Amino acid sequence: MEQLHSFSTWLSETGFSQIIQTTNNAIMFIQVIHIICLSALFGCALILALRFMGRGIVSEPLQHLSARVTSAIWTLLIVLVISGLLLITAEPGRTITNPAFYFKMVCLVVVVGLTLWLARAARSESTQLTPVHSAVAVCTMLLWSGIIVAGRLIAYIESY
Amino acid sequence: MNSFIEWLQNTPLAVAVSEVWFPYLESVHVIALAMVFGTIVIVDTRLVGLTSLNLRFTYLSDRLLPWTWGAFIVAAITGTALFTSNAQGYMANTEFIVKMFLLLLAGLNMLYFHKVTLRDVASWDGGRPPQAARVAGYASLAIWVLVLVMGRWIGFTV
Repeated sequence: MEQLHSFSTWLSETGFSQIIQTTNNAIMFIQVIHIICLSALFGCALILALRFMGRGIVSEPLQHLSARVTSAIWTLLIVLVISGLLLITAEPGRTITNPAFYFKMVCLVVVVGLTLWLARAARSESTQLTPVHSAVAVCTMLLWSGIIVAGRLIAYIESY
Repeated sequence: MNSFIEWLQNTPLAVAVSEVWFPYLESVHVIALAMVFGTIVIVDTRLVGLTSLNLRFTYLSDRLLPWTWGAFIVAAITGTALFTSNAQGYMANTEFIVKMFLLLLAGLNMLYFHKVTLRDVASWDGGRPPQAARVAGYASLAIWVLVLVMGRWIGFTV
């Protein structure tokens, strides 16, 4: 824990962190980019999840829909990771010693794994949709919701 | 008006929101807004001719807009509850007023689109929408991005 605090202090004192901290509205601007991308990703994840549940855009073949939606998800995820790293760099004391941040990261790893699994299932032409696919699809939406909640609760939960 | 706002802020519901429920209601509010924005972006990018051109516009909007409306109702309820917790503060906050104005603008844009532009949808449903529809789509995207900007900005200024 002490090492995390030392790392957090070191990071917040770096020149790059100081630039973000002292530039007018920089943190708010990065947060806005982060929220816009997460919201757009949430919409894409919803379309994919609904399709695996046999609902939503059912007129488009699963393979085709999954390919274009997951490519949008991965693109948005890259922007989310970059903006997230900038926010951590700007305010390390608020994030890397906060339990809500670690909950968010665990949710993120699991949801990326489940989305990769769904995308792989969609690529296979022999895939028949089963209740397992529906359950995984529901889990992805719960996990994205968990990521949003944890992201918001970072502001309220005390750091270690 | 001022006495109503003051009364509202001191109701038991407002006090409970302020003292206990604010973070949880705010979390639900953000999830609902993410769903509103996320689904609108998909419909609007189809409307401006950037994505989903393989789908008819009316098919896509029929499939997604019920989710948008459901989420909007949740966002409106949670947003109202959050407002009561510091009604006087929000009423004096420029970003909050601008956000409300933008929501009104989004509603008017949608109303005009549905009453006027969408009347001849049969002629462009399966292809690239006409200029009037694309303008409505870009306007909607810009308004909703600004709603999110103002929403975040309120957190820094109220």
